[in-house]
Order: sequence, then C-alpha cells, then structure tokens
Amino acid sequence: MNGASPTSFDTWLSARADGEAGAGLDWLEAQRRSALDQVREQGVPGTKQEAWRYTSLKRLIEQGFARVEDEVTALQLQDIEELLIPGLDSHRVVMVNGRYTPSLSALGDLPRGVRVTGLRALLASDPDALRERLNGVTGESQPLFAALNMAGLDDGLVVLLDRGATLERPIELIHLSVGMDEPRVAQPRHLVSLADGAQATLIERYVSLGESLYCTNSVLELSLGRDAVLKHDRIQVESLNAFHITGLYLSQGAGSRYVGVNIGLGAAWARTDLVARFSGEHAECDLQGLYLAGDRQLMDYHIDVNHALPSCSSRETFKGILYGKGRAVFDGRVVVAKDAQKTDAAMSNKNLMLSENAEIDTKPQLEINADDVKCSHGTTVGQIEPEKLFYLRSRGISAPFARRMLCLGFAEEIIDALHSDALREAVSEEVGRRLETAPLT
Amino acid sequence: MLSVKGLRANVGENEILTGLDLEVGPGEIHAIMGPNGSGKSTFSHVLSGREGYEVTAGSVTFEGQDLLALEPEERAHLGVFLAFQYPVELPGVNNTYFLKAALNSIRKARGESELDAVSFLRLIKEKLKILHLNDSLLKRAVNAGFSGGEKKRNEIFQMALLEPKLAILDETDSGLDIDALRVVADGVNALRSPERSMIVVTHYQRLLDYIEPDRVHVLAKGRIIRSGGKELALELEEKGYGWILEQEQAA
Ligand SMILES: Nc1ncnc2c1ncn2[C@@H]1O[C@H](COP(=O)(O)OP(=O)(O)O)[C@@H](O)[C@H]1O
Ligand SMILES: [Mg+2]
Repeated sequence: MNGASPTSFDTWLSARADGEAGAGLDWLEAQRRSALDQVREQGVPGTKQEAWRYTSLKRLIEQGFARVEDEVTALQLQDIEELLIPGLDSHRVVMVNGRYTPSLSALGDLPRGVRVTGLRALLASDPDALRERLNGVTGESQPLFAALNMAGLDDGLVVLLDRGATLERPIELIHLSVGMDEPRVAQPRHLVSLADGAQATLIERYVSLGESLYCTNSVLELSLGRDAVLKHDRIQVESLNAFHITGLYLSQGAGSRYVGVNIGLGAAWARTDLVARFSGEHAECDLQGLYLAGDRQLMDYHIDVNHALPSCSSRETFKGILYGKGRAVFDGRVVVAKDAQKTDAAMSNKNLMLSENAEIDTKPQLEINADDVKCSHGTTVGQIEPEKLFYLRSRGISAPFARRMLCLGFAEEIIDALHSDALREAVSEEVGRRLETAPLT
Repeated sequence: MLSVKGLRANVGENEILTGLDLEVGPGEIHAIMGPNGSGKSTFSHVLSGREGYEVTAGSVTFEGQDLLALEPEERAHLGVFLAFQYPVELPGVNNTYFLKAALNSIRKARGESELDAVSFLRLIKEKLKILHLNDSLLKRAVNAGFSGGEKKRNEIFQMALLEPKLAILDETDSGLDIDALRVVADGVNALRSPERSMIVVTHYQRLLDYIEPDRVHVLAKGRIIRSGGKELALELEEKGYGWILEQEQAA
C-alpha cells in the first residue's frame, strides 16, 4: 500500500496469477468489458444515492481489497470438519476464497437431469451452456456490485435442473474464506436455473476459518421456470472483521415458488440486495430474514420486488436483534404495476433492540398502482417486554438466560422456516451463543 | 414461614399497600379476599419481586430471609411461586423448553443435578396425571393463544412441577367456568402438603367451596382489615364487603 486511501474499486480487479476464467471467449470478454465500463461509470456512490442513503461505502473502499490471486491448495477435509453441520445430508460443494474446490466437495450421486458444477470448469468445457445464463437474470446493465462481480468473474456454482427434475437432498454450498495475508476480495457468481416443474433445495453458507479481514462480493442469478420450486436457506456467518456483499437476483416463471430464508449473523459490514421479478402469473415469492447486529456490525438489507404481472404474491418477513452498538438497515420496496391486479403482497420488519446504543433504519415501502390488490406493510422497533422477563424470572430463570430465551422466541418464526432440522438446530445454537456474549448497553 | 410486617408500597406517587401484616405458617392455606383495586395483585407482585413497586416501610421475611432484598429468580429458588392473575404470553418460546429451563434453573441454584431429557419427560407425565391434564399444552408456545382456562391450568401445572414452598395464587379462579375451576381446585388440593403453604387470592368465595382455607383475610385499601376462619368467607359472600368497610371506618 502506498499510504493514500484508495478512491476506486480498481484494486478489486487486479490480475489473477492463474489466468482469467473462460479466457479467449469473445462473448465473455465483451461482457467483462461492458461490466468494467459500468463500474467506471458508476464510480463510488455517495450517500446521496437512494440505494446507499443509510450506508456509506467509505469503510469498504478504504480497505483497498485486492483480488484473490491464487488458489488455496493446502486445505484438507479435516481442516473444515468443524464447519460441517452434524446431521445435514447434502450434496456438498465447497468453495475456498471464491474458487470451487473439488477435493473438499462431496457431490455424491445426482439424479438424472441435474447438473452441478463449477462456473470456471464449465466455461472451459461447455461455455455455450452459460452464454445465455450469465447476466441472464441481472441483465447486462447491472448495479455496481453485480457489475464489479462480472468484471472480476472467476468462479461460482452452477446448478442446472432439466424440466421436471427433482433433487431430494439439498445442495449445500459452503463458501469458505481462509486467512489471507492481505485484505482480499472474492467475487463468486452463482447460477441456479430450474426448468419447468423442477424442484430443489439450496443451502448457502458463508463461513470463515479465523477472524481475518476479507471481502466477499457474491452474486446469485436464480431463474425458475413454470411451476418450479426453489427452497433456499442462506446462512451468513462470515468473520467479524469481514465485509460481505450479496446480490440475489431472482426471476420467477408462472406458478413458480421461491422460499428464501436469510440468516445474517457475521461480518463487520454486510449488505444484501434481494431483487425479484415475475415473468408469469401466480408465482409466489417468500423472502424471510433474521439478522443480528452487535458492536462494530452493520447489517444492511435492500429488497426490491416488482409486481409487473397480475396474480403473484410476495412476502417479506424480516426480523432483527440489535445489541451493543449494532446497526441495521431494512429498506424494502415493493412496486405493484398498474396491470398487476390480484397482487398479494405483505412486508414486515420487526426489530428487537437490546441496547440504547443500537440503531435501526427501517423503511418498508409499497408503491401500489393497481386497485384490486391485497397489500400490507408493518414495522416495529421494540425492547424486551419487562412483564415477559419477569414471568420467566419468577420461575427461577436468571435474567440473562431469560433474555436469551425471549430473543430466541422472537427469532423462532424465521429459524423455523429453514428447510432442515439440522440447520434449524445449528442456527438456533449459533444465535444463542452470540446472544450469550451480547453487550446489553 | 412467611412473615409480613407493616408493609407499605407505592406505585409512582400512590401508596397502594398501606401497612399490611400477615403471618403464614408451614402447610397453611390462607385466603385473601377483597374488592377490586384493594391491592391484592400488588401484594402478590411485591412478594415475588416484580419491578415498578417501591417498598417504603415494613418487612417480608421468608424462612428467616429478607425476601425483599432478593431478585425474582432468587425468590423462586427459595421456593416462592406466583400463579399470575394474567399469565404472560411468550410467542416462540416452547412450553416444554420453558418448563425444563425453569426446573433446572431452580435445581441448579439449590445445588441439585439438572434433569436430563428422559427424566424430565417422566416427571412431566407424572405431574400431568396428578392434575388430570393431557399434554396438548406442552407442545405449544408458552400461553400463546391459550384460552383463559388453559392459561390458568398452565400456571397450576408449573406449580405442580416446581413444587414451591410458598405458592401465591392470584385470582386463579376468576374467569373460569365451573369445570375449569374444579381442575384448578383439584390441582391445588393435590399439592397440599405439610411443607407447602399457599396464599389463595380470590375475589369470590366460590373457590373456597373447593379449597378449604385455614385462615381468611380481608384486604381493603392496602391492608388486612379483618381475619378469621373459613366462616368469614361465607359471611362475606352473604353480606358483601360493605359492612366490613363500614365497621372499619367507624373504628
Ligand atoms: N402499575 C400500576 N400503575 C398504576 N397504578 C397501579 C398499578 N398497579 C396497580 N395500581 C393501582 O393499585 C391499586 C391496586 O391494584 P391491584 O393490586 O391490581 O388490585 P386488586 O388485585 O386487588 O384488584 C389500584 O388502584 C390500581 O389502579
Ligand atoms: Mg388483581
């Protein structure tokens, strides 16, 4: 570092020692160049920009993250054993610092019509399978971090289900970050595409070994065909020094159903954008979330659901527990177009503040341009109710334990929505563990 | 066992308890009756350590200890139990988990070993049987969406499980139909023992048809103005509170 603070994302796009993914593919080069132009054009947005009103990018950009430059090869299965969830039976994909790592993965037998592979490998073996899919959901012109991700494209998970294919066991993507000697950024891009009537469960976990400083900027492009069903659990427990950015872009065909449960516990600075669009009627989109924010933590959620077609439903149910000097942002926006009659949309954001120094900015917005719709939104910011606490204490339960029980009770609705018992148990335990040491002032 | 002397307590600027005296011996059941707003719940809350009350005078001694100096959970560890007039709903907190946490917290505080899942379930089954309850309430969140009767039964169930030395039942009978009332009364009677004292707060004498008290007290304007045997309850039933209040004023 030369002393002066960086003022652009140029360092994020430094060269990789082991070459660019899909090198030599003209269409890919063109997309990368276009993405790079978009990054340069957008610069570093300030807080005057609506999308960054509550969250300054200063802290992020000052780190001067450099692109991950080579693969971590030394890791063995026993090194990551502590990160596995007991009792979780999955098709496991492990990515280390953004790179698909077959030696740590355990895909097992996949049913017919299901393809699970690394993006980099697929670009080498069958690039045509990706040509329509990369940027297929985001579109070529994309928001800053999706464009950055595209400009620095390296690897990711690709899941393709043919028409009617069904996965019984979940696909589990473990995104592992391990100690890097200088602050680095990994930008995986995951593509999940379910053809008509296909069904799958995806578990995505962002974990780290050690508490190092790094950045993950991941993009997911999820595309659901007619009547397809995707259940999606996302558990973010990055290092408490890390920066985490996710852009989840969802395109839903007629009659499809998406249930996404977002658990955000880790990272010093985390930004999640959930963007959903419908391409057919009678689709259902269910977005749920639970976030914890303590000292030196920022959890920032932006939701953008656009009902352009009639008869679709969307639910956004987010709950937050804030303690110490924790900060969170919930900026939810649901737009119902003029022709989108019979839309059913409900957005809720509830926050439990355990300390006076914690801070929440919550802004649920519904913009309704149709008249025959069922829409609601609500937001609450509250504390632990003294009479609940007293009730538990009167039964002999200590005040700290009682508080933890009430917090877990508050979170229960979201934890319960996760799609496996093993995961529910693991998350519940992790939330309890974090609350145990949570400062209450 | 419990000795209350000259107890005065305020809520904000208002003095609600105005010099309350009460002595309860081991194994005794005391009924406290009184008009609405006389301070019955306030007294129950002060005994169990709820915040928001300022004790300005008097003392409460429980088995030789200054009860007022203790945190609510410490009182529970000593064996004080309050069956709430309005049990609190705890959405998301599983009832079985809650019961186990309560029982094990108390056991731990007393230096006993915590019960494992199997022994705990065995104990639960045993207690359900004694109270003629089924286990449908156990799988739900604590009191959440319970009917009035279910809430009161859940309180009695907790009492049965935690086996307190002093149980304070704050209007556990109000709002119950006759069947639910019987469940509550049967529960109380089943738990009657020479080591367990109870303070049964009630607005009506009806409950006392099922639970026979050793002593009956009338609480009015924040203190006990009359004490007697169970015949006092019948007299109150017949004549209402008016005559005692008048006598009290005249005195
Ligand atoms: N938290 C409170 N804030 C203000 N007044 C209260 C509070 N609790 C009790 N009181 C007052 O104290 C008096 C006694 O109430 P309470 O103990 O509930 O009576 P009871 O249980 O005998 O009906 C009433 O006048 C009531 O309004
Ligand atoms: Mg009362």
